[in-house]
Amino acid sequence: MWASSTANALKLSSSVSKSHLSPAFSISRCFSTVLEGLKYANSHEWVKHEGSVATIGITDHAQGHLGEVVFVELPEENGSVSKEKSFGAVESVKATSEILSPISGEVIEVNKKLTDSPGLINSSPYEDGWMIKVKPSSLAELESLMGPKEYTKFCEEEDAAH
Amino acid sequence: MRSPRILEVWKLGTVNYLKSLKLQEKLVSERKDHRIPDTLLSLQHPPTYTLGKRRTDHNLLIPESELTKIGAELHYTQRGGDITFHGPHQAILYPIISLRSIGIGARNYVETLERSMIEFALIYGVKARAGHKCETGVWVGDRKIGAIGVRISSGVTSHGLAFNIDPDLKYFEHIVPCGIADKEVTSLRRETETLLPSEEVIHEQLVSCLAKAFSYDDVVWKEDPSLILDTHEDNE
Repeated sequence: MWASSTANALKLSSSVSKSHLSPAFSISRCFSTVLEGLKYANSHEWVKHEGSVATIGITDHAQGHLGEVVFVELPEENGSVSKEKSFGAVESVKATSEILSPISGEVIEVNKKLTDSPGLINSSPYEDGWMIKVKPSSLAELESLMGPKEYTKFCEEEDAAH
Repeated sequence: MRSPRILEVWKLGTVNYLKSLKLQEKLVSERKDHRIPDTLLSLQHPPTYTLGKRRTDHNLLIPESELTKIGAELHYTQRGGDITFHGPHQAILYPIISLRSIGIGARNYVETLERSMIEFALIYGVKARAGHKCETGVWVGDRKIGAIGVRISSGVTSHGLAFNIDPDLKYFEHIVPCGIADKEVTSLRRETETLLPSEEVIHEQLVSCLAKAFSYDDVVWKEDPSLILDTHEDNE
C-alpha cells in the first residue's frame, strides 16, 4: 500500500490497487498514472510482458487525451502485429485514432469486452481495458521500450510543447 | 526560443470527394516524414454523403440507388463520426497537422476545431456553442451549424470540419445527420441578418480563425489549380 498523500496526488482507480502493479514515484503534470513493471512506447501504448505473453493497451495519459472512447476496432486473433504499425483504432469525440503496436508478434487473444464496453479503456486503461495479447517475436524490441521513469518524463515534455 | 509555427493553406475550390481523400493520404504520409509543414486544405465538395469508420449506414434514409437521382455520391471513410452531407456552399477545412509537435491529443484538437468555428460564427453575430457530451460539433441553440469528423494516424490529422454557409439543407433530410435524430441543421445564412461577403472571403475568415485558435505564427496561402491536376496525374 502507499501513503495517503501519494494516493491523493496520483489519480488512482480502484482496479489499480487490486493488482500487484504499483504506481511510479513521479507524477506527470496531468496527474495521469504511470505504472511500474510495464514498458511504454512513445505513441502511448503499454506492454506487460509475462513469460511468453505480452499484453498491450493504451496508457492513462492516452485515454485522458482521447476523451470518452465510444468504439474500438481490434485485429483478428491469429493475425500478426508489427512494431510501430497500426493494429486497430479507437473512436472518441468524432475522432478515430490509430493504435500502434509497440512490438511485433502473433495476436493470441483480443479483449472482446471492448466491443460492448469501449469505455473500459477510459476507466481501466491498464487492467480491464487491455486490448490485445501477443506472442512477442523479439525480446530486443521489448527491451528497447521506455521504462516508467522515462515514459513519465516523455509525457511531461510532450505536454509542455503545448 | 521555439521556431515559428507555419500553417500552409491550400485553396482548392470544389474538389471531388475521392480526389480529396487521395490528396489527404499523400499529405499525411509527407507530414509524418516531416517533408511538409502543417497543411490545411480549404475546399468544397459536390453533393456527397459520407460515413465514418463505424459505418452507420442505417442513418441513410433513402436507398443508395436513389442517390444518383439526386446528384449525390456516397463514400465510406476511416474518419470518426457518423453520417453527414457535404455540398456546395458548405466550407470544408481539412487540417493535416502533427498533433505530437504541439503536444495535444484528440480531445483537445477537436475542442480547438469547435472553438475555431465558434469564433468564426461570432464575426457574423451568431452565438454558437460546442456540442454537449456525445454531440461533438457546433450548434446554434439546438440547430447544428458545424460538423466534425477526424482521423488521427501516428499523431497526424486528416478529414476535419464542415461549416454550413448556405448549403441546400434539403439534402440533410435524407439522413439522420451525425446520427442525432430530432435536431435541425442550420446555416450561417439562416442564422445571421448580416449580408454575407463572397465565399472566398468567408473561407479566408474561417481559415484565419482556425490558424488563430491553433496559435500559428504565420499562414502561407497557396492557390494553384495545378495542385489538383498533380493529384489527378498521380492517379493515371
